[in-house]
Amino acid sequence: GQANHNVARAVGFGDLVQIKKQLISVISLCKERGLVHSVKWASELAFALKPLPMSELPPPAPLTEEDVEDLDALGLAKSYFDLKEYDRAAYFLRGCRSKKAYFLYMYSRYLSGEKKKDDETVDSLGPLEKGQVRNEALRELRVELSKKHRTGELDGFTLYLYGVVLRKLDLLKEAVDVFVEATHALPLHWGAWLELCNLITNIEMLKSLSLPDCWIRDFFLAHMYTELQMIKEALQKYQSLIEAGFSKSTYIISQIAVAYHNIRDIDQALSLFNELREQDPYRIENMDTFSNLLYVRSMKPELSYLAHNLVEIDKYRVETCCVIGNYYSLRSQHEKAALYFQRALKLNPRCLGAWTLMGHEYMEMKNTSAAIQAYRHAIEVNKRDYRAWYGLGQTYEILKMHFYCLYYYRRAHQLRPNDSRMLVALGECYEKLSQLSEAKKCYWRAYSVGDVERMALLKLAKLHEQLNESDEAAHCYIIYIQDIFSCGELLEHVEVSTALRYLGQYYFKNKRYDEASLCAQRCCDYNDAREEGKALLRQISQVRDQGEASSADVSLPCVFGSLSNNNTPVRRVSPLDLSSVTP
Amino acid sequence: MASVHESLYFNPMMTNGVVHANVFGIKDWVTPYKISVLVLLDEMTISKRMTLLERRRLNKLILPLQQVPPQLHMMVVGELKDMESFFDTLPNPFSDAESEASKTSVVGLFMRHMLLAYNKLSFSQVYKLYTALQRYYDDCLGSQPGPPTAPPVDADMELSEMELTSTEDGAEGKMDKEEPDAGPMQYSELLCPLSQKQAEYFLARQAYLLKNDENKALKPAALQEELNNMLKFNPDFAEAHYLSYLNSMRVQDVFISTHSLLHYFDRLILTGGDGKSNGDEGYGRSLRYAALNLAALHCRFGHYQQAELALQEAIRIAQESNDHVCLQHCLSWLYTLEQMKGSDSSVLTEDSVKMAAHFGLPYLASLGIQSLVQQGATGGKAANMLMDALKDTDILHWKHSLSELIDISLAQTTSIWRMYGKSTMALQCAQVLLNMNSLEQVDFGVQQNNTEAFAVVLCHLAELHAEQGLFGASSEILKHLKERFPPHTQHAKLWMLCDLKIQFERAMNDGKYHLAEPHVAAIAALDQMEGLYRKGLVMKAQNQTTDAYRVLQRLQLLCEKTKCTEMIIRVMLTTAELHWESSGFSTALPLLLQALVLARQHHLQALASETILHLAFSQLMLGVPEQALNILHEAMEPILAHGALLDKGRALLLVAKCQMAVSGGREDRRTGLEQAVQTLDEAAAYFSRMGCKDRLRDTHYLQARLHHALGHTAQRNECALLFRMVDQELPPARANLANRL
Repeated sequence: GQANHNVARAVGFGDLVQIKKQLISVISLCKERGLVHSVKWASELAFALKPLPMSELPPPAPLTEEDVEDLDALGLAKSYFDLKEYDRAAYFLRGCRSKKAYFLYMYSRYLSGEKKKDDETVDSLGPLEKGQVRNEALRELRVELSKKHRTGELDGFTLYLYGVVLRKLDLLKEAVDVFVEATHALPLHWGAWLELCNLITNIEMLKSLSLPDCWIRDFFLAHMYTELQMIKEALQKYQSLIEAGFSKSTYIISQIAVAYHNIRDIDQALSLFNELREQDPYRIENMDTFSNLLYVRSMKPELSYLAHNLVEIDKYRVETCCVIGNYYSLRSQHEKAALYFQRALKLNPRCLGAWTLMGHEYMEMKNTSAAIQAYRHAIEVNKRDYRAWYGLGQTYEILKMHFYCLYYYRRAHQLRPNDSRMLVALGECYEKLSQLSEAKKCYWRAYSVGDVERMALLKLAKLHEQLNESDEAAHCYIIYIQDIFSCGELLEHVEVSTALRYLGQYYFKNKRYDEASLCAQRCCDYNDAREEGKALLRQISQVRDQGEASSADVSLPCVFGSLSNNNTPVRRVSPLDLSSVTP
Repeated sequence: MASVHESLYFNPMMTNGVVHANVFGIKDWVTPYKISVLVLLDEMTISKRMTLLERRRLNKLILPLQQVPPQLHMMVVGELKDMESFFDTLPNPFSDAESEASKTSVVGLFMRHMLLAYNKLSFSQVYKLYTALQRYYDDCLGSQPGPPTAPPVDADMELSEMELTSTEDGAEGKMDKEEPDAGPMQYSELLCPLSQKQAEYFLARQAYLLKNDENKALKPAALQEELNNMLKFNPDFAEAHYLSYLNSMRVQDVFISTHSLLHYFDRLILTGGDGKSNGDEGYGRSLRYAALNLAALHCRFGHYQQAELALQEAIRIAQESNDHVCLQHCLSWLYTLEQMKGSDSSVLTEDSVKMAAHFGLPYLASLGIQSLVQQGATGGKAANMLMDALKDTDILHWKHSLSELIDISLAQTTSIWRMYGKSTMALQCAQVLLNMNSLEQVDFGVQQNNTEAFAVVLCHLAELHAEQGLFGASSEILKHLKERFPPHTQHAKLWMLCDLKIQFERAMNDGKYHLAEPHVAAIAALDQMEGLYRKGLVMKAQNQTTDAYRVLQRLQLLCEKTKCTEMIIRVMLTTAELHWESSGFSTALPLLLQALVLARQHHLQALASETILHLAFSQLMLGVPEQALNILHEAMEPILAHGALLDKGRALLLVAKCQMAVSGGREDRRTGLEQAVQTLDEAAAYFSRMGCKDRLRDTHYLQARLHHALGHTAQRNECALLFRMVDQELPPARANLANRL
């Protein structure tokens, strides 16, 4: 197979046939070695490409002398391995000399250690032993592998295993080096890339690595960008991959959907997930993300359908439990929701999302201490989980500790500098602490990075109003109304009417009666502002009767078309000069 | 509603010890160590011939354990069945009621607990316990000469604890993101996690040392590594986070300390909460103290605005839940904060003291009083009031055994006496503290902690000795200080400043201004005002009059802002000296009078005497030596009683000069001059003890002139010789030497 992989480097996306050939051969290589996840990934990708004609199918990897010698032992061991009898498999592979057998031998020993470690945690000898349970095999494996590594005897697969062992021993720097080496030796093995992905913490680190120049690297980079929250770059990469011919790949679709979810482009993400469900109806992976989206949109029937569907497929999966948890949460049955998140954690204690979601449930139940605990666990698993930091902030905010929660919101903001929610939360805290200038900065920044909830401007406007900065307040209201009208949705009637009311009064005071009457008329569309609107209109006509002319002060903000346009959604008006609003 | 603990029920690995125990319904666990204790107890009950008296001799009892009891050895080298049979035979000694270890005794209870715990172990747990026992035996006793033991455990492992992950499908395909721990985690030796008790002891010990004797605590980096290690094994160990907070405060790391503090309280909330929110105990309480601690953190880092916000929050929450104790703590931080910000907080402090006394919080009350005394001392309150207040708090301290506050109180008294210029009293107070044994338990052989109070007192002592010309003793004290408070510790700045000041004074008195100059920068780094003042002094000495004046003006503005009376007076005196340089003796007078008023107002006797010397000198130069002599008489007594050697010398020299001037035209000129000679002799003695050659030269010169006038040729020649000897050593005298006190 080695020859095949060397070819891989030269092949670009132009040659999909070559890529398919490579995928097919790597699938068989991984299958022989029991690397099921990599097999799955490669197979999914291969499935997305056109089938090859009979003549084009790659020949099976040629057998060496040693392979033939070990054939029987390998067959036996592999069958034991498949049945999870790792020690037994390792026993029969002891003396084998072929590389394939050696890998399976070492891998069996590793997995046996992991399995025992898991089993032992159940009957540990009490708190004293807490955290002391370890995979006893790792040490020996490391010694043996490092010896072979020094003499250069390791192939791509064993290098990968060596890397895994190093990572498990927390020797992260060495692990990264070994994984990079593994990707060079065998670029098509997705597992090595994925491990590397877990070890890279920032973009600088990513740039500093020298990775093999292979088509698979683009998949890796796209994945990496998603992990590092560089969603724009990730989407670009995935788009180019689709254009290169992987349009049918469910893997790519799911990744794009997750990326859209991360930047909270809910519509795009939802449509992609629906597409994914159509293509791959029995898929469970990523469905928890899908359910998050349905939850955010409050799509109860869809979420219910998804939950029932998943339960039918496999109810003992982390994703299924999370979906059910979300479902109960949406139905405000928070105890049950928490129970299902707990079950998810039972299935995989390192399941980050469940900890955070459980925290949210406890918050709903007003059990703040349990919520804090859940969030802390989430942070323990991943320090960069901005939702957990944000959740902690919210918890302390509920406890009315506005200064205390600043720290947590700041952490969340650091992790997601362009997320308006953290900024709005920070702004609210500052407002509560009477740090108004700070609050203004936060709200303005929240608006600038693209405020999804559209609350930042309104809050900013109210803040200006409070400080008697009427010009700035009017500016904010104008932009706010523009935003609301231009997107064609009229969700927040109350707030729109508040804005209109203020603007009406503002124009009236500034003697710009045309605009004032326009605002007043619009006010009449809303129940709560109707009376005031009418009153203002009367006032205006009174003043006009007295013959007072409209002020022609050009410096005041101009009224925009959308108001007179009778509710028809218009395209976004060109933004006003906002220099005076900037705090 | 699911309580905290229920929510954790499902995952034993994620919980802390308590929850863990609840899961299995066992509070005690059999550990290798406890087996050893059991063996010891067993041995003891077997050897019945020992009388009770003998048995009390602990040495004999422990001896079998130290010598590896055969039973334990048998168990380790033998097989699993040996351990099993040990537990089987264990009950026998207790079955007869005669035994010491009867059912209800402490020992009996312990043994029954262990038996119960052992019987509850599952099959694989028993085997694990056995291997753990073997390892324990090897680790502890393997090095001792003894019978061969079980296969040795490799000690050259270079690995650390792994995270727990599900391994259903092998290693690959782990999508969950694992965050690498901060910093490279490599351990050259086998990590041996501490047990709960060991860890608790470690934390308590280090925290105590950080507070009382930083010198003996682990170095910051080493301690942090220990803590990280500990948290790795047991992330729920909240106290470790708190120690990490204290440790990073030590190295002034605001980031980690905030992080650790908040983490601690997040964790504390989990362990403390029993489902009830906002109760008097547990959850609500820790929330209040969380906010308060955050305020304290910002205070310590000098983030006054943040500290204020956090404090407001703490106060609000405490008020809402009617927690008066917490409120009092908040109040004491409030006045501390106000004080740090430089505003007057005496009203707040008084309130705090009253309230603290009302709620029965002696610690807070006397802290408040001490703070009030300090404010009162700098604000010019009457000395008797301050001393009374301190005496009252002392009674409180002794009553409640607040040993820490007793130390502080004594150190404060020392400082106050010194400020008032009563060096004898200060000396006495310092000795009282230094000769006192701490009430708290301290290490063997050491009776005292290394707290700030001791540093302060020792510094005073060093300065007092230096004042009296006992430079050897003073440097001995400083050496001691350096040993007790090494340079990197928190109180080291105190002696650094003290050391520099002494060196500076010596260099100035020697007339070696070029040696004094480098000290100025060092002093300024430790104390801005002091540095500025010394800079002015050096400039004045080097005849850079205008620059010196500018520096002093700046300093005066600064002092007025911070209301530092002592420094204001000193600046005034130095400014007056600058006026002298330009022969502006009359212009110096109003300044000096102002200084005198201030010094008297604040009871600063040393400074008042100094001011009188200055006044007298001005008068002398203005040609009214009689007046000068008059006011000098007033100052002589305190100076001779409490003043530094230099002051004494200077005062006597001035008196001699006045006497000479007075006796100028009169008939009894001769007696006047003889008196002056005597005074000069005394002054010369002081100056020579101080090693103050510059002034010695002046004195010898005057002596020689006087002897000459009196016709004592021999003495004149002797003095002239002395003068010449000193003069040769020193650089040429300044032009306007006469214009100096």
